[in-house]
Amino acid sequence: MNACASKANDPSDRAMAVKIPLAVTDLVKIYPKAAQPALQNFNLAVGSGEIYGLLGPNGAGKTTAISIMTAGLLPTSGQVEIYGWDVVRHRRQARRLIGLVPQDIALYAELTARENLSFFGRLYGLKGSELGDRIAETLQLVGLTGKADQAVSRYSGGMKRRVNLAAGILHAPRLVFLDEPTVGIDAQSRNLILEKLLILKDGGTTMIYTTHYMEEAQQLCTRAAVMDEGRVIEEGSPGSLIHKHPDCGNLGELFLKLTGKHLRD
Amino acid sequence: MTKLLATVYKELLLLQRDRGGLLVLFAMPAVLVLVITLVQENVLKTVGESETRILLVNRDAGELGALVEQKLADAGKLTVRKPAADEEFDEQLVRAAIDRGDFQFGVVLPDGLTKTVRHKARQAVRGSLSLEPEPGSQTAQTPVIRLYFDPAVIGGYRSAVRSSLQLMVQGIEVNEKLDALGQLLPLKINAALQKEMGDFLPEDFTLPPADLQLDWGDAPVLTFEEAAASTGSAGSIPTSVQQNVPAWTLFGIFFIVLPLAGSLIKERRDGTFFRLLSLPVPYLTVIVGKIIAYVLVCIMQIVAIYGIGRFLLPLLGTPPLEMGPELPAILIVAISAVLAATGYGIMLGTVLRTYEQASMFGPISVVIAAAIGGVMVPVYAMPKIMQQISILSPLSWGLDAFLDLFVRGGNLKTVWPEVAALLAFFLANLAVARIYFLRRVQNKG
Repeated sequence: MNACASKANDPSDRAMAVKIPLAVTDLVKIYPKAAQPALQNFNLAVGSGEIYGLLGPNGAGKTTAISIMTAGLLPTSGQVEIYGWDVVRHRRQARRLIGLVPQDIALYAELTARENLSFFGRLYGLKGSELGDRIAETLQLVGLTGKADQAVSRYSGGMKRRVNLAAGILHAPRLVFLDEPTVGIDAQSRNLILEKLLILKDGGTTMIYTTHYMEEAQQLCTRAAVMDEGRVIEEGSPGSLIHKHPDCGNLGELFLKLTGKHLRD
Repeated sequence: MTKLLATVYKELLLLQRDRGGLLVLFAMPAVLVLVITLVQENVLKTVGESETRILLVNRDAGELGALVEQKLADAGKLTVRKPAADEEFDEQLVRAAIDRGDFQFGVVLPDGLTKTVRHKARQAVRGSLSLEPEPGSQTAQTPVIRLYFDPAVIGGYRSAVRSSLQLMVQGIEVNEKLDALGQLLPLKINAALQKEMGDFLPEDFTLPPADLQLDWGDAPVLTFEEAAASTGSAGSIPTSVQQNVPAWTLFGIFFIVLPLAGSLIKERRDGTFFRLLSLPVPYLTVIVGKIIAYVLVCIMQIVAIYGIGRFLLPLLGTPPLEMGPELPAILIVAISAVLAATGYGIMLGTVLRTYEQASMFGPISVVIAAAIGGVMVPVYAMPKIMQQISILSPLSWGLDAFLDLFVRGGNLKTVWPEVAALLAFFLANLAVARIYFLRRVQNKG
């Protein structure tokens, strides 16, 4: 575990820990009746402004890790701190600092994009002109200003993904979790999303990013961890990872080398 | 507060756009109230619980025909229609009118009823007093009052009507016989005195007819009183409107389990649940927002259906919905019932895994609870075992409380056990939902 991860909760320690957007220590998750843990001794330390990739085959534990880190699931043991706030004991404080872009289109399909953003924005504590301004900015960022008053159910897959992203970054969080945000969409929408994520990164937003698209991870992530069977098996910047394995020309080849070619269900 | 209001507003928007849900919440109970009330109003007519229409053809020109008419008119709950003077109404036409359902039953008084009854009474009394038959008199045939029933009239009510008419006829017969006795008894005594006293009795001595006062209707020597087993002072039987409007409103209220449980399951399926868990707002706020939204919708539902009972049904021939004077108590019962329904919906939405499960289990459980709770058939008409089971249904608690307030003169004091049971049901469901919610947060899914 990275030494900069802090377990302390008093204000002075927290003041130090505040520089660390995410610190995960010895995280274990065992589901009832499961043959093996979904996460075992999972450790992570993510610095400010990073885009940290979580790469792994199906069932590697990426979504379980994100669910615990975003306070949607309780760990069996271990600790997650967001800017020094423990996500279990100081859930509300931790949640204020994060945004989540789930793998599913986690929106109300019968509501328009604007109504969805207005609802989630209010739950994030935005109101009045600030809420209106943030909705307008976010819609512009994801290229949906002209279609904001259409029901989400009438959107294309790419538009749904973009408004799903908008709902996660509406309140300008300091740390955003993105769980396969570009899955199943056309090249244009994917390109737009990746462009906007880089803009957010330049603005200082830290991101935890899961994807099955290795070229996307190589293009976007400052660091990445390759996961399998609930643990991190390799970690580093995409360049350093490829450098460590000279027989692999890119992150995709490295991924297959580390996780094997057998099918995962 | 803003977060709570945002949740309420979002739920109302979603409901407003869910046409299927709106149909279930508003159109279904409204149609059920209209149809069932009108059908049952007709059924009540066939069992005598509602006003009954009688066709009376009086061919008797004497006093007895008029007396029967008067007694039928005074019976209450009966609307007696007589053909107009210039209207020819033979028995064929009477039968046709009853068959058409224009009247529940018809009474035909034969021609010469008064004359024949009086003659028969005198004959009977003369026989009893061993007097010689009147010179020139012949044995008259017993007159027949013919009674026609609508085939739909239930057997018990038919017997009750027949018994009432029988009593009326017997009363008339007794009166006529006593009247004859008053006239013939002095003749009998006179003859006996003549025989015993012979010459001691003046030749022209005759006893005057006995002046019997036969109007005994106002001076019964024995009577009975029908008392309603009500909690209040003024007991009365619920009309079909008083029974059906609260019953089907409760049914409609409990049908919110479908959209409510469905919304919770959909949030989990779409991943919105996990997005909501990541927000800086307690999940309880989201649930309370849903409860408030559905309470508001159900109150609109209640107002709409009670409005139908109050204003629309009377236009279709039923009595208007009478709710009694305890409006605050009615509101408390209504809100308690709505909370019980929302609690059940939240529990189902948390415990069940798929929308298909909810759309099967939710409505079926509500229909069963409605059936055993007295919504479809009043509890008192059920077999004893079902009456005992009915106390398990929250719909029965709600309906009982409404009927207490509408019909039995009850107030908040008399309905508090039902209110407490409904609120306890609400809290118990929330407790079960919380257990499953924590399990989901522990184990995902």
